Amino acid sequence: MRLSRQLLSFLLVIYAASISVAATWGFEDATVSVNKKGAGVGGGFKEKIGENKALSKPIALGASETLKILLTTKEDNKAKRPHQAFLLVKDPQSNLDTSFAFQVKENGKGKIELTQKDLPAQLLSSTGPLDASLVIASFGSTKPYSVKAFDLAVELDSGSPLPSSEKPLRYGKLPQIHHIFKSDPNSPPKIITLIFTAAVVAALPVLLGAWISLGANLNHFSTAFSSSPIPHALFFCSILAIEGVFFKYYTSWNLFQTLPPAFGIGLVTFLSGSRALREVQGRRLAGLR
Amino acid sequence: MLALDPRSYGNEKSAASLMEEVLILLLGCISNRGYKLTFESPKNDKLALFQHGERAFDHILLLPQKSKGTSSPANVDDFGLPNPGLGPALTPKLLVQFINQNGNILLTLSADYPTPTSISSLLLELDIHLPPDRDSLVVDHFNYDAASASEKHDVLLLPQGSRLRSDVKDYFGGDGTIAFPRAVAQELGNSNPLLAPVLRAKSTAYSYNPKDEADVVEDPFAVGEQISLVSSMQARNSARFTVFGSAEALENKWFDGKVKSVDGKDCKTANREFAKQIAAWTFMELGALKVGRVEHHLSSITGDAAGNDSVAQLGYLNPTIYRVKNEVTFNIEISEYSYDHLSHLKIDPSDALQLEITMLSPYHRLNLIPISQTPNSTTFSSTFKLPDQHGIFSFRVNYKRPFLTNVDIKREVTVRHFAHDEWPRSWEISAGWVWIAGVWITIAGWVAFVGIWLWSEPAYEQSKGKKMQ
Repeated sequence: MRLSRQLLSFLLVIYAASISVAATWGFEDATVSVNKKGAGVGGGFKEKIGENKALSKPIALGASETLKILLTTKEDNKAKRPHQAFLLVKDPQSNLDTSFAFQVKENGKGKIELTQKDLPAQLLSSTGPLDASLVIASFGSTKPYSVKAFDLAVELDSGSPLPSSEKPLRYGKLPQIHHIFKSDPNSPPKIITLIFTAAVVAALPVLLGAWISLGANLNHFSTAFSSSPIPHALFFCSILAIEGVFFKYYTSWNLFQTLPPAFGIGLVTFLSGSRALREVQGRRLAGLR
Repeated sequence: MLALDPRSYGNEKSAASLMEEVLILLLGCISNRGYKLTFESPKNDKLALFQHGERAFDHILLLPQKSKGTSSPANVDDFGLPNPGLGPALTPKLLVQFINQNGNILLTLSADYPTPTSISSLLLELDIHLPPDRDSLVVDHFNYDAASASEKHDVLLLPQGSRLRSDVKDYFGGDGTIAFPRAVAQELGNSNPLLAPVLRAKSTAYSYNPKDEADVVEDPFAVGEQISLVSSMQARNSARFTVFGSAEALENKWFDGKVKSVDGKDCKTANREFAKQIAAWTFMELGALKVGRVEHHLSSITGDAAGNDSVAQLGYLNPTIYRVKNEVTFNIEISEYSYDHLSHLKIDPSDALQLEITMLSPYHRLNLIPISQTPNSTTFSSTFKLPDQHGIFSFRVNYKRPFLTNVDIKREVTVRHFAHDEWPRSWEISAGWVWIAGVWITIAGWVAFVGIWLWSEPAYEQSKGKKMQ
């Protein structure tokens, strides 16, 4: 029993070892360089990329620069051409990605050139650096390789505008809109209104005072009422009533409620007025006025 | 429902066997749900999608067609065209007409059976692009079934349930793994909001043509997550069209199959569940919304009364006219169909059902809040103040979301000005006090003047003489 268990563990170790030495895809002699258009060879940035590790510093790619990667792909330490040799560029913020295929020769030598024009607008407009990974894989059981190689910082030319990446229409929630109402009409401060109202109201006592100081009086009241009491009472009261009708019209009545009483009272005013004014005329002719 | 099996092109026997292989499970779970199935070959002369101008079928399931090149020699009668399409009854125009008449189509593709040009042109019309090489298939050297495709890597293993957006309902979710053998890549146009990918490939996948002699891929048709393996299109009339990239994934073999991932883990496939979700969505069993009562009334009328019935009883429901600045309450009841019953609609907090108060353009756009819910409906409500603009307004609920049928409800109302007796009275406006006082003081002065004129005695004696002159 123990023996069989030992045998089993031994077999497991062998199996694990065989997995660890299973063939894998990889590369060697990888260099990444950034060259400016027109600049001579070796003028730009150049760096070696090691297998299974990323460059510590991000690589800047300017508007007129070309990123070039040269490498030799290997299967199990032998140079060989894989079916898939991609540079996978991914925006870690939006999770958008795209791949660019290497041109790989029979002997595994691969080359890729990348400019800003090749990158889609969605990646160009990313604010942070992009993750660039090398993906080398092919058919069969050889383990594929996909490890981040470097950060790619796209430096946009401030002069030339970004290729328009207008957001396409997608159905979704829209921003809320709240109608902005016209502001209510406002009144001046109440104190000012009250001062002027007081001035207007004060005009009446001033007027009456002026009349009294000029000698206005009601001395003929008894004379008038003794000679023709009904016309005088009706005339003055009907004038007051008309003002009362106007007050009702101002507060609650509509025009159709207002007009009949106004006509009725107006008739009373007309008839009683002619009598009352005849009495006034009589006083004038008697020399009392 | 019409299930079209174009693989039976002149070969009835293979049709039968393929039907057994591919269809029984998928269609079994469909027909269990009460569908009546009709199997037709496009070769059938009597096949017609329309009868008397109306749809003859509710749904179509199109299966991949055996290419002419691989069919038996007896069939090669129109050899001039390698793959003429689906025959006169299924031209792209007729299929589009079928969609326009609210018919749903589930189209399955397969890399083993080159896609007919008529299908490609139909898809092109919908802004879904297929690889120009008709034999292309999708491979992923990182996510494949190590048990069945250890060499070719063309059986993709994909996790179920990648949500399209956080605010979109997850109809195709789950924890399972989907096996996707020999899939045809689709690329979706960016400008069409009616399209939505359902299942996308992983970022290391790419599409290539296995018949291409080159042993390295240099210009792949599509790479990474831009490859849509299952795409959906919901037309403006809510008719649904689904492109399923791998007909083989619907076969018996994969429905309850076992697969082995690259790192050696065995797991069961979730193809059965996924196929059920896809078929249910395409055939309007999922994500179909139904609008119940749509009501609006003056907010002040409800008062303390509970529920809207009291408003209805009072006869104040859905008036045709409101006044500017009225407080109005709008209620809408929506149900969602779920497989075999109506259920209440639940909206994700990151999404919102919105009400627009529009005249030409929206004056208000407000989120409707769920206020009550029954087992098969939810009532959403919003209370708002009408804008201070008179005219013909509409209360519009325009709810268009991926995977949900479109809701576009409009209720037109007249919004009138203040009537002359609805304004504040003059004495309520402090600025008017001066003028009001002026009017009444004038009146009082006039009355006093009348009294004095009638009854005053002349103030001075001399005036007599003057007057006499």
